[in-house]
Amino acid sequence: MSQTLNTKRSQRDAGGPYGKIGQSLNELDDRMGIAKGGRTFLDKIFPDHWSFMLGEIALYSFVVLLATGIFLTLYYVPSQDLTTYTGSYLPLYGQKVTEAFASTVNLSFAVRAGLLMRQMHHWSCDIFVGAIVVHMGRVFFTGAFRKPRETNWVIGTTLLILAIVNGFLGYSLPDDLVSGTGIRIAYSIILSIPVVGSYVAFFLFGGNFPGTSIIPRFFILHVLIIPLVILALVGAHMGLLVRQKHTQFPGKGKTENNVVGTPMYPVFMAKTTGFMFVVSGAIALLGAFAQINPIWQFGPYTASRISYAVQPDWYMGFLDGALRIFPAWSFHSFGHTIPLEVTIPAVIFPGILFNLIMAWPAIERKFTKDNAMHNLLDRPSNRPKRTAAGVAVAVLCAMLFIASSTDVIANFFHVSLNTVLWAMRVLCIVVPILAYPVTYKIAREMQGFAGAGKRKTTNIVTRTIEGEYVATPAPVYVDDMEHENEHDAVPVPTYVVGDDEGQSDENINGVRRIPR
Amino acid sequence: MKSRFRVPFIAIAALVVAGPVVGLASAAVASTTVQTPYQTGRSNAGTPNSTNVTKDSSGNIVSYGNSAITYTAPSSALAALGQSLFLENCASCHGTQANGVPANGTSGAFPNLVGLGPATIDFWIESGRMPAADPRAVQANRRVARLTHEQALAVAAWVNSLGPSYPDIPSPNLASANVSNGAALFALNCAACHTIEGDGDALAAGTYAPSLRNIPAYQVVEAIRTGPGNMPRFTGNLSDFQVADIVKYVTTEIQHPQNPGGAGLGGLGPVAEGFVGLLLGVGLLALVGFWVGERQ
Repeated sequence: MSQTLNTKRSQRDAGGPYGKIGQSLNELDDRMGIAKGGRTFLDKIFPDHWSFMLGEIALYSFVVLLATGIFLTLYYVPSQDLTTYTGSYLPLYGQKVTEAFASTVNLSFAVRAGLLMRQMHHWSCDIFVGAIVVHMGRVFFTGAFRKPRETNWVIGTTLLILAIVNGFLGYSLPDDLVSGTGIRIAYSIILSIPVVGSYVAFFLFGGNFPGTSIIPRFFILHVLIIPLVILALVGAHMGLLVRQKHTQFPGKGKTENNVVGTPMYPVFMAKTTGFMFVVSGAIALLGAFAQINPIWQFGPYTASRISYAVQPDWYMGFLDGALRIFPAWSFHSFGHTIPLEVTIPAVIFPGILFNLIMAWPAIERKFTKDNAMHNLLDRPSNRPKRTAAGVAVAVLCAMLFIASSTDVIANFFHVSLNTVLWAMRVLCIVVPILAYPVTYKIAREMQGFAGAGKRKTTNIVTRTIEGEYVATPAPVYVDDMEHENEHDAVPVPTYVVGDDEGQSDENINGVRRIPR
Repeated sequence: MKSRFRVPFIAIAALVVAGPVVGLASAAVASTTVQTPYQTGRSNAGTPNSTNVTKDSSGNIVSYGNSAITYTAPSSALAALGQSLFLENCASCHGTQANGVPANGTSGAFPNLVGLGPATIDFWIESGRMPAADPRAVQANRRVARLTHEQALAVAAWVNSLGPSYPDIPSPNLASANVSNGAALFALNCAACHTIEGDGDALAAGTYAPSLRNIPAYQVVEAIRTGPGNMPRFTGNLSDFQVADIVKYVTTEIQHPQNPGGAGLGGLGPVAEGFVGLLLGVGLLALVGFWVGERQ
C-alpha cells in the first residue's frame, strides 16, 4: 500500500542522499533523461599522460578567443567609410582613416581594458593555432588517427584550416597599413586561380581592390560564420572523442580493450578547470606585458602606401615564405597572364599539403594494409616511416616559415638579402629530403636501444671503504618490468572481439579502468 | 591635408617672398602651390632664391630659407683647416682635389665630391660613414663619427670652396611642425624601405635601409635633401614644411614611440610575435600540462 506524503522531509528524501539538488536533477531526468548522458560524461575516463593536455590548450584558448572577441565587437565598427581621426593619439590626429581603423585605435586607447582585450585576443589566436598544430603532431606521431578515428582526424584538420583562415580575417579587420598589405596579397592569390580567379576575386571583394565592402564581409565571416562552424566542429570533435573513447599509451594494465585513467568527475574536472585558468592566465599575462600588433604605429591602409618588412602572423608564415622564395615563373599567352609564381606556392602547394594531411589515414592504411581497430598508441620510433614522413613535412613548413622572414634574417646577420633568398630556396628542398632518412635512421636506432620506452633510472653512487666512488644504475621501475623486451617485437595489435580483462570496474589508487 | 591649415601663412609668405621660381616645370604639384625660398628642381635643389639670403660682412651667404628649415653655409674661414683634414682623412680615395679616383675600372667607386653641396659632405662625415671603414664595402655603415662637428663643417667648407653648391647645412625648426602630417608623409615616402616603425631592413644585393632610431634631426633633413647611397633625393616633391613634419615624426614618434601594450619585442613584428606565442605561450602551457599530467 503506497501513500504519498507531501512533507518537506519526503521531498528531500525523494532526491536521495543529495537533497534538493538531487531532487532537481531527478526532476530533470524524469523529463529529459539526463542521467544516462550525464553518467557517460561524468564517468568519462581521461588518460593521465601529459601529452593529452595539448589539445586542451587549444580548447581553452578558443574559449578566451570567444570571450575577448565578444568584448571587441562591442566597440569595433566594420566599415570602410572615411572619417577624420580625432582621438588621443597625436600622430594620427586629423588624418582621414576608415571607421574600422579609427574604431580599432579608439578601442585600444579610449576604451578601458580595450588594448588588453585586443592583445589577449591576438595572443590567444597565436596560441590557439599553435596548440592545434602541436596537438596534431601528438596525434600524428603516435598514430592516434588510425581506425576508428579517421573522421576525427579530418575534423581536426578542417579546424586547423578554419582557424588559420579566421586568424587571417581577424588580422585584416583593423584595416591598418600592414594588414591591408595582407589583404592585397590575398586578392592577388585569388586572382591567380586559373580560369575562375578574377570572377571569385570580384565576387568576394564586390569589385576591384580595395573597394569598400571587403572589411564588412570579412567581419561577418570572422565573427559569425566561421566561429559558428568552428564551434560546431569542436562539438563534433569532442562528441566523437567521448563516443570512441580516448587512446592510450601501452603500459601496465593498458590494453586495446580498456581505458586507464582518471574519471571526469571529480579528478579530471578539477584538473581541466585548473588548466583552463592557467591557459587564460598565461594569455592575460602575455596580453598585459607583451605588445602585439601596434596598429597605431602602422597607420591606416591606403593603396598608395606600403611598409617594408611586413610579415603575416606566424600561422600564415609558411605560405608567405613559399610566395617569397618561389622563382618568378609567369607566362603570357592567348591574351592571358598565367602567374605560376603565385598559383603554385599559394594555391596549389597548400591545396596539396592539406589534402595530403586529411588523406593520410587512408594513405597509411593503403600501405600497411592494417585495417584493425587501434586504441593503443604507437611510440614514434616504432613507426619509423610515418615518423620520418611527418618530420619531413613539418620541417618543410618550418623552413618555409623561416623563409617568410628573409629580410629580417638578412638585416639581423648583415648578409645580402639575395644570399638569404637563394639559401632558403636550397634549404627548403634539401632539408626536408635530408630529414626523412635521418629521422628514419634515428627511429630505427631507438627501437633497438636497450631500455627504449622506459623511464630512465637514476645512478646510485656509492663510496667504498677505500674511498672509491662507484656508480651503478638503479633497477628498472616496477611498472616497466613487464614490458622489458617489448622492443624485440613491435606490437601490431589486432582487434579482439569482446573484452576479456576490461570488465572489472576496479579502482586502484584512484586510477580506474573501464571497458570500452 | 596639412596645407589646408597652412594656406593663409603660405599665401602671406608667397607675397612677401615673391621670388621668381625657376625650374619648376618638372616639379611636383606641391612645389607649384608652395613657393619655397630655395630651388626645388632635380638639378638645383637647395639653391637659394634671390631675396631671402643673409650675407655676412665679407659677402658669404650665412643663411637662407624659411621658418621650417634654415640652411646655413659653413664658414669659409674653416676652409684651410678643412683642406688639411681632407688630405689627412679623405684624399687617399677621393683624390687631393676631391674630384674622385676611378677604382678597378669603376669610375663611381670613389666619387667626385665637388659640387655636391655642404650638406652631403657633412652627412657622410657626421654619420660616421666616412672615412669608410671598408672602402670596398657595398654600403658604408653608420658608426661613431671620427671627425667632430666642427671638423666636418671645415671639410664641407673646403670642398664647397672648390665648386660652390647647395644645399647648405640644414637646421629644422620643429616647433610648428605637424606630427600627424609627418606620419602620413612618412608612410607614403619612407616606410617602403625604412619600414613603418623606422627600424630599417635589408634591401637587395647587400644593401640595406638603416634604422632611424638614433639619427639627429638635421641629419634626417640632410638625408632627405641629398639622397645618400641608394636613397632617392627628395627635392621637388617635398616642401621644407613637409620635410620638417617628417623630421618631427621621426624624432618624436619613431625615436620615442608612445608604446602602450607592453614589451615591444624588438619591433620585429609577427616574426618575434610568432616566436613568443609558440615558445612562451604554447611551450610554457605544454610544460604546465607536462607538470599536471603523467610523465611516463
